[in-house]
Amino acid sequence: MEFAWNAAEEAYRAELREVIATLPDDWWEAYAPHGPSSPKLMEHARRFNARLAQRDLIVRHWPQEYGGQDASAWQQIIISEEMWSIGEPRSSLYLGANWAGPAIMKFGTEAQKQKWLRSIAAGELLWCQGFSEPEAGTDLSNMKTRAEPVDGGYVVNGSKIWTSYAARADVMFLLARVGGKGKGGVSCFLVPMDTPGIEIRPIQGVHSRWDFHEVFFTDAFLPADALLGEEAGGWTIVQTIIHYERIGAGRYEKAKRGLDHVVERLKERGLWDDPVVRADCAAARALVEAARLQTYLVIDGRAKDSDPGAETYLARFAMIQADHAVANLTSTYLPDLLIDGADGHLRSQFNSAITAGIAAGAAEVQLNMISGRHLGLPRGA
Amino acid sequence: MDFDLTPDQQALREAIVRIVDDNRDLPRSGGVVEPRAFHPATAMEQAFAAGGYFDIALEPGCGAVEAAILVYEAALSPLVLELGGAALVAPLLTGEALARPVAMARAQDLMRGVRFLGEARTVLVDCGADVAVLDMTGREVAPLDSPYAYPLGRLAAAPDLSAVRKLPGKGAELRRLWRIALALEIAAAMEATVQFTTDYVKQRQVFGRPVGSFQAVQHRLSADAVKSRGIYWLAMKAAWSASPLDAALAALHAQRAIPDVTYDAHQFNGALGMTLEHALHCWTFRLRWLQGEMGGQRGHAAEVAALAWPDAA
Repeated sequence: MEFAWNAAEEAYRAELREVIATLPDDWWEAYAPHGPSSPKLMEHARRFNARLAQRDLIVRHWPQEYGGQDASAWQQIIISEEMWSIGEPRSSLYLGANWAGPAIMKFGTEAQKQKWLRSIAAGELLWCQGFSEPEAGTDLSNMKTRAEPVDGGYVVNGSKIWTSYAARADVMFLLARVGGKGKGGVSCFLVPMDTPGIEIRPIQGVHSRWDFHEVFFTDAFLPADALLGEEAGGWTIVQTIIHYERIGAGRYEKAKRGLDHVVERLKERGLWDDPVVRADCAAARALVEAARLQTYLVIDGRAKDSDPGAETYLARFAMIQADHAVANLTSTYLPDLLIDGADGHLRSQFNSAITAGIAAGAAEVQLNMISGRHLGLPRGA
Repeated sequence: MDFDLTPDQQALREAIVRIVDDNRDLPRSGGVVEPRAFHPATAMEQAFAAGGYFDIALEPGCGAVEAAILVYEAALSPLVLELGGAALVAPLLTGEALARPVAMARAQDLMRGVRFLGEARTVLVDCGADVAVLDMTGREVAPLDSPYAYPLGRLAAAPDLSAVRKLPGKGAELRRLWRIALALEIAAAMEATVQFTTDYVKQRQVFGRPVGSFQAVQHRLSADAVKSRGIYWLAMKAAWSASPLDAALAALHAQRAIPDVTYDAHQFNGALGMTLEHALHCWTFRLRWLQGEMGGQRGHAAEVAALAWPDAA
């Protein structure tokens, strides 16, 4: 049992911080509060990602043949901690690095691997995720978007919703139905967002004006090589990637740094001497550290190439609780700092937290999975 | 990082689990658990003593993590055994194997109620900056009836702590180690509570279905499992790191989780869970005592706040 970082991991974190130090001085005021899908941050991310790529920092944990350095899965969580905790300056490159890339590595053709994995390692593409639909969110296998086989490829019709990053992403990881109903008919496609027949409608969110979109597909033609894995074999891919998706972003580290910032502001206002305030902050810190260790347990399994078990869902639920605990401290003791322009750091953490229980599978879905896979409880009627 | 036990630690754990499993049966009368507030683990104590397990923290190559494995695994049992003080706190605090059982107490609690006080041969008393090592030979202890699943007692007469062996300046270290032992015992009792309740709701039928098939039950038990596993990892990290902050985080998180988990467990076990003939109380009424040990959450929270966000010098 060992809970310390090794020298290579520490050095990697230090290198990342050197690149982070190049972020604009007004990062917390002008970029981070509006979220990683805001136009300003996404535009900046293309330059920032190029700087990361110049130093081969994006996918150190991947095999060398795909642009990595054969480092362990721990390096993936280190970059996630460093980036997510400051508002994710990579923008949606992280989707590619965290789970789209591993899915392509596992299920893609050699040509797909060379094309997409190299581009992720080079920091060239921003991704979006075409999963949820108006009538299929948590119940994902109920999705209706269809990809009809035609000569040379597929024609896609349907729509996706709540799609973060869609307006400025380069490529979508799309789920569409080729076969019949249910999980068995789902297929995965890698879709350039400039494909004719794709239209995007922004939806303003309470936390961000830019985070949500609806994406419409009208006779959008995809070449045959857009299909990832086997036709109608997409559910297996989904089952694989949800572990990487749910445990990918270092939410606990953003909560921890947000909490440190909360305490700074409480001290400035003379509220830190109140034992109730101190106790509330301490309890939040305990939630954060519990979430961190439960996440690390999942990463430890990933580093050892073990099959992901129920720990993913335990860790995700713990992360949601930690995120909310810190956001609630801000709402309770420093509510005025969530006003536009008051404190970008706290606003960024608050915005992340309020979506934490919805993004990457609702909190209640995590509890369902824990019930079945960790506790072995019987399914309901 | 490596969350797996080393091969030696794994072998140790397996040996401990064998002893715990061989000695975990509750005394029964005609198939029904004998209705007692707690059941001492006499045979398990003898097996651990014969194997030298109480001194594991002092063995070459061993330390707090090995002692933590012992405390956690044994506390999963429904039977009660004093291990936190004897196997973890006392040897790591003093470098000696003190006469056991070893109770731990804040000075102000000696006349109120301390677990294992009547059985203890040594008591480590938190006197603030210092620790008093109280030899219990010849001291009269009044046993206390209580709903708690621990033997409790209080001293019949106030001790003169100025006249006993002192460990000057060791108060903070006692509290650090005590917090680790406390968090481990809570983690284990909570894990056993969740598992016991899970087994019960799988087989207990209501409205023609297992209780455990209702989502209202599933979600709360699942959230309790998240708490239990989080406490376990915080406690193990605290044992590994020797950090006072880690120890305070573990104890704080552990004690905060007790009300929800014990409430849920008793709700889901129904009226049966309110009886001494059902084993649930063997863990939940340990948890209820542990919820207030060391003065409850306040001290841990204050320690976390002071260490995580120190005031400017």
